[in-house]
Amino acid sequence: MRQKPPAVLVLLAVFATLISLVPIAYLLFRGSQAFEQLLIELLRPRTLELLFNTTILVVSVTLASLVIGVMQAWLVVRTNLPFRNFFAVAAALPLAMPSYVSAFGWVSLFPGFYGFWPSLLVMTMTTAPYVYLAVAASLVSSNFQAEEVARSLGKNRTQVLKSVTWPIIRPAATASSLLVALYTLSEFGAVATLRFETFTIGVYNAYRSSFDRNAAAAIAIVLVVFTLLILYGERKSRGKVRNFEPHSGKRIRIKISGRYGFASGLLGLAFLGIGIPVAALVRWSVVGSSRAELERLTDAVLVTIGYSIAAGIIITLFALAITLVTVRYKSSLASPIESGVWIGHALPGIVVALSLVFLGANLLPGIYQTIWIVLIAYVALFLPNGLAGIRNPVSQIPIGLDEVGRSLGQSRLQILRRITLPIVSPGVLASLALVTLTVMKELPATLLLRPTGVDTLATRLWALTDASSYAAAAPYGLLLFLLGGIPAWLLNRQIRKTLDATT
Amino acid sequence: MLKKSIAVLAVSTLGLTGCAATEESLTLYSGRKENLVQPLLDQFTEDTGIEVEVRYAGTSETAALILEEGENTQADVFLGVGGAALGALSRGGAFVEIDQEILDLVPAKFRSVDDDWVGTSGRARIMVYNKENVTQIPSSVMELSNPEWEDRIAIAPSYGSFQAFVTAMRVIEGDEKALQWLSAMSENALIFNKDEEVMEAVESGTADAGLVNHYYFYRRGVEDGFENLISEAGFFTSNDVGNLVNVAGAGMLNDSEQAKAFIEYLLSDAGQQYFSDETMEYPLTSGVQPSEKLIPLDQVPTAELDLNDIDQLDRTLELMREAGLL
Repeated sequence: MRQKPPAVLVLLAVFATLISLVPIAYLLFRGSQAFEQLLIELLRPRTLELLFNTTILVVSVTLASLVIGVMQAWLVVRTNLPFRNFFAVAAALPLAMPSYVSAFGWVSLFPGFYGFWPSLLVMTMTTAPYVYLAVAASLVSSNFQAEEVARSLGKNRTQVLKSVTWPIIRPAATASSLLVALYTLSEFGAVATLRFETFTIGVYNAYRSSFDRNAAAAIAIVLVVFTLLILYGERKSRGKVRNFEPHSGKRIRIKISGRYGFASGLLGLAFLGIGIPVAALVRWSVVGSSRAELERLTDAVLVTIGYSIAAGIIITLFALAITLVTVRYKSSLASPIESGVWIGHALPGIVVALSLVFLGANLLPGIYQTIWIVLIAYVALFLPNGLAGIRNPVSQIPIGLDEVGRSLGQSRLQILRRITLPIVSPGVLASLALVTLTVMKELPATLLLRPTGVDTLATRLWALTDASSYAAAAPYGLLLFLLGGIPAWLLNRQIRKTLDATT
Repeated sequence: MLKKSIAVLAVSTLGLTGCAATEESLTLYSGRKENLVQPLLDQFTEDTGIEVEVRYAGTSETAALILEEGENTQADVFLGVGGAALGALSRGGAFVEIDQEILDLVPAKFRSVDDDWVGTSGRARIMVYNKENVTQIPSSVMELSNPEWEDRIAIAPSYGSFQAFVTAMRVIEGDEKALQWLSAMSENALIFNKDEEVMEAVESGTADAGLVNHYYFYRRGVEDGFENLISEAGFFTSNDVGNLVNVAGAGMLNDSEQAKAFIEYLLSDAGQQYFSDETMEYPLTSGVQPSEKLIPLDQVPTAELDLNDIDQLDRTLELMREAGLL
C-alpha cells in the first residue's frame, strides 16, 4: 500500500506548480481580452506557414538529437571506443554554449549561413547533450551483461539494440527528447539569427511590429496547444522505468570494429558543437578593437554564479518535492501537477518575463525588480529541466524499501531522509548541475526582470553585441562557456567513474 | 575590486537594489544602447545632481515592459528609437503630457500629435556609395529596383530603421509599389544584418552602394578621416522617402520634477550638443547646429510625412517576407 506524502512535500510541489502556471494564466487573461483577434491570428495563412516551419524543425531536431545523443552515450559507456574520457566530456560540453552565441558564431564565420539546415545543425548541437547525459546515466546504472547474454543466445546486434538496449534507455531517451522538443519550440535567439521563422519568432514579431501584447498572446497560446500535443505523445511513448538492478559480475565492453572511425565521427561533432563557436569568439577578440572592462566582467561573473546557483538549488528542491509526490507517492495530485509544470515550458522567455512583469509590478511590488522575481522566473522557465533529471532515479528505488523502514518504526519523514534521499542523491546533484548550467545562459527574462543596474554575463554579452563591440563581447561569451563547463564536467563525473571501473 | 564585486553580489542577491527612484534620483528605461546613452547620463548627473538608475533593453522589449507594468511602472522616463515605439506607448496611455514650452523646442513633425512624446535627435536614411563606381545618385530610392543595380546595392532588411523606411514607402507609394520595389531588391541587393555591416561592405568595396542611417557614414568618417574613405554619402535628389528622417525620442511616465528636468536636459544645448558630437545624429532644437559635415536637416529633400503615421510595421514585415527579404 502506498503512503500519503508528507504535507511539506505537497506544499512545495503545489507552490512550484502555481509558479509554473503564472505565464499560462497571463496568456489566458490577455487572450480573453482579444478573443476575436485570437481567431484572426489563427486563421491567417501565415499561421499555417509558421506551423509547418515549427513542426518540421521540432521533429527533425528531436530525432537528430535522439540519434546523436544515444549513439554518443552507447559508444562512450558500452564500447571499447578510444579516448572515452575525452569524448564523455566533449559530448556534454556544447550544453555550456548558449545557442544564440553558437548561431552568431556560425554566421560570423560563414556569412550567408541561413535557413532550415543551419537551424537544424545549431539546434541539434545545442540539444543533443540533454539526450546524451540522460541516456548515458541510464546505461551506467543498468546491467551490462544483459546485452552479452542476448548476443550469446544468437541475437544479432540490431535485435539486441531493439529488444535489450532500447527498453533500458527508453524512459531516459523519451524524457530528454521531450526537453529537446520543447526547447526547440521556445528557442528565439538562434533561429532569429539563422533566419528560420517559427512560432516563437511570430510571438516576438508581434511585440516588435505592432507592440501588440494581445496578438503576441494569441500566437503564444498556439504554442501551448502544441506543447500539449507533444506532452501527450511523450506520455504514450514513455515506457516503464525498470527498477534498479545491482551490478553483478564483471563489466565487459563491447568490441566494435572501426572504433577509430567512430572516434573521428565524435571528434567531428565536438568540432561542430564547440570548435566553431569558440573559434568565432576567439576571432572576435582578435579582430576587434573594443576591450572589456575587467571590473564589470568580474561583477557579471559573480552575479551570474550567484543567480544560477541560487536558482539551481531552489529549482532542484522543488523538482525533488514534485517527483516524490508524483512518482514515489503516486499522489492523486500527480497528474495535475505534472501537466501544470510542463505546459508552459515551450513558451519563449519574453512571454514568461512579461507575465512576471505583470504579476510583479501590479501585485507583488515588494519583490519586483529584485532577485526574487528573477528566481521566480527561472522556476517558471526551468523547473522541467530539474524534473527531467530526477524522475528516473526516483522511479528506480524499489518500493519495498519503504516498507522495511516502516516495519522498523520509522516515520514518513525519517524514511525520506534516511532511505530515499541518500539513494537519489546522485540524480539530485546531476539535476542541480543541469539547472545551474541552463540558468546561466538565460537572457530575455533576466534582461527584463533583473534589479536595475545589475548585469549577468548573458546581459552584458547582449549589450555589447547589440552595440557591435564584438571584441569586448568575446570574453563574456568565453567566460560563459568556461563557467558552464564546470557543471557540464560535474554532470559527467558519474559516467567517467564508471568508465574507469570497466574494462 | 574583488571586495566591491562581492558587495555587488551580496547587494543584488539580497534584493536591496532595484527599488523605485528616490527624491533625488530618476529611473530611466532605455531602449537606446548603453554605450551611446551612458556618457550623457553621467553628464546629466554631474550638471543637475540627479542620480539616474537606468535599465537597458531593446526598444520594443522596453516598450512592452512599460505597457505590462501599467499604472505601477517603475520608470520615470522612456528613451527609445523610432516614432513607431513612441507612438505605441502613447496610444497605450503610458505617457503624461509634456509642457508646451518644452515641446515647442522641436518642430511639430518630430513629436507626438498628442503632445506626450518628443524627438530628441534625428536620423536620416542616406545612400552611401563608392566614389569611383557611382557617379550620380539616383533621384529616387525607387530607381534602385532597376537592373543596373543588380548585385551592387547593400541593405539590412532585418534592421529596424530599414523597416521604418519601408513602412514610410508603403504610406506614400502604396503597398503594391512597395512590394514591387522589395521584390526587385531581393534580386538586386546584397543582404546584411545591420547598417554597420552595410557601411563596411561599401567601404571595403564589396558593394557599390548601400542604404544606411546617416550617422554610420559620418562616424566612420570621423574615425578614419573622411579623406581616407573610398565612399561618399548623399541624399536622393527628389523629395524622396529614401531620405526618411526618423527620431530617437523620449516620453515621461509621470510628471515628477526629475522627469521634466531630464527631458529638458535632453533638449538643452548641452544635451543636443552631445547627440551632435557623440552619436553624429541631428540635433532637433534650433539652439544647436548639426555637425558641419552634415547637410542641414531643413535641406534634406525628404518626403512630407508624419512619423505618427508609420507605426504599422506588421504589414511591412508581411510584404518583406513575401518579397523574400526576411
